[in-house]
Amino acid sequence: MKIMVTLGLLAVLSGCSSMGVEPWDRDILAKEEMQLTTDPIEAATDDHIYFSKEASSGGRGFGGGGCGCN
Amino acid sequence: MTKPDDQKISAALAKATCALLGATAIVPVQAEEESKWDFNTALLYYGEDNDRVQDLSVSLLARRNLLDDRSITLGMTVDALTGATPHGAIRQPVAQTFTRPSGNAAYTVPANNLPLDDTFKDTRVALTASWQQPLGRLYQFNVGASASKEYDYLHLGLNAIIARDFNQRNTTVSAGFAFAADSFDPVGGAPTPLTSMLDVGDLSNRQGSQDKDIVDFVFGVTQVVSRNLILQANYSFSDASGYLNDPYKILSVVDGVSGDTVTRTPPPGVEGPSHEYLFESRPDQRTKHGLYGQAKYYMNGKVLDVSYRYMTDDWEIDSHTVDLRLRFPMGDTKFLEPHLRYYTQSEADFYQPSIVDGAPLPTYATNDYRLGNFDAITAGVKFGWQTRNGNDMSVRLELYQQRGSIPADSLIGNQVGYVQYPDLDAVIAQFSYRFGS
Repeated sequence: MKIMVTLGLLAVLSGCSSMGVEPWDRDILAKEEMQLTTDPIEAATDDHIYFSKEASSGGRGFGGGGCGCN
Repeated sequence: MTKPDDQKISAALAKATCALLGATAIVPVQAEEESKWDFNTALLYYGEDNDRVQDLSVSLLARRNLLDDRSITLGMTVDALTGATPHGAIRQPVAQTFTRPSGNAAYTVPANNLPLDDTFKDTRVALTASWQQPLGRLYQFNVGASASKEYDYLHLGLNAIIARDFNQRNTTVSAGFAFAADSFDPVGGAPTPLTSMLDVGDLSNRQGSQDKDIVDFVFGVTQVVSRNLILQANYSFSDASGYLNDPYKILSVVDGVSGDTVTRTPPPGVEGPSHEYLFESRPDQRTKHGLYGQAKYYMNGKVLDVSYRYMTDDWEIDSHTVDLRLRFPMGDTKFLEPHLRYYTQSEADFYQPSIVDGAPLPTYATNDYRLGNFDAITAGVKFGWQTRNGNDMSVRLELYQQRGSIPADSLIGNQVGYVQYPDLDAVIAQFSYRFGS
């Protein structure tokens, strides 16, 4: 099992190694609006609302606990 | 010869001395890397229709970048909640009387109305703290703690994430772990599952406070694909064990032919339920698996943010979530961002609208609408702008709508066409202000 996970990870990484940009081409990726989470409070608020109204939670980050609402 | 460490120490000493003397410090070169606190603040209103839940919330997230790419983040949220929420009893063509969760009063819901528990009122304070720092050249380490307190609930949690960069930092692999120890101390005590709602003053089926533990793992890969495309993929695992019931949720006990709720009469001089109701029962274990993918794509100033999440758990709830945001710049300092989210879930395998009188009791049963079968749509827009002194402000307005259905084969007699999923419409309005010191 461990070997398979390691092999899988290596395959992903070697596939990924052909993608990407040079360090001096990161001007756009460095923009605030290109961050994976642009507004941390909005993300946390939405996670909290949906946690208390829906049966699934998390995915983007941790999904457990923190509220008696579910 | 002066070593860099010595320079840091001497700069720190100089600063400390100046502070003591009340003089303006001559900022040393090293200290220029050190930025001040960055504050994210937000005011949120969440309101459901038909006098259901209303929430007013204030949040503050303060982050300080320190030397050597280390940072500390502190967060606080205060929620004030009021309103009513469906507790699981089905509508009836006659008035229904219920004992309040505290067990020391009763309330009556008019005929043909969806029964709601109108005692919902709470204040929640949540705190978070996290520390992030590089470990060597390629690793980032983040450790955090969280705590929240409501009138009847306490959450304490710890989390840690480690990430490693590969391929000239174009690929990042991360692994995270979180543990939460929560405790529930319901008003009037936690009821024994599948026991009856009793008359006012009778707390014989109540137990003390209850605990649950939650363990979370998240494994992720972030990949820069090109100059304007970045992808993320996560696998998450969550295991909750302990008290997973909602102590305020009940089910109606109904006649097996008519589907009407069985009536009862409290003893003379005592207030109590007009019909038979049982407290819900959920398994004490739940394991969830999730797959999450996100793409951010920059198109000539516009930014497309797409994500998809699939979740499945051993309560047989499967869900799919698609989230779309498209940010349009308006000049250099403003933007408009429409947002659309679609969510759908299947019901838990023990979800049922009622319990049949006289039939063998199921081990688990709930009529909590949140464990039912429904679709939800969020549609909204956010407008952001930069103030004259360079701080960011934004407002967003969103509508959230839940539409559900109860499996036809679980409805009995008169329930068909009369007992429906409690659909929900809500407004989300948020004002955010971000500034640095």
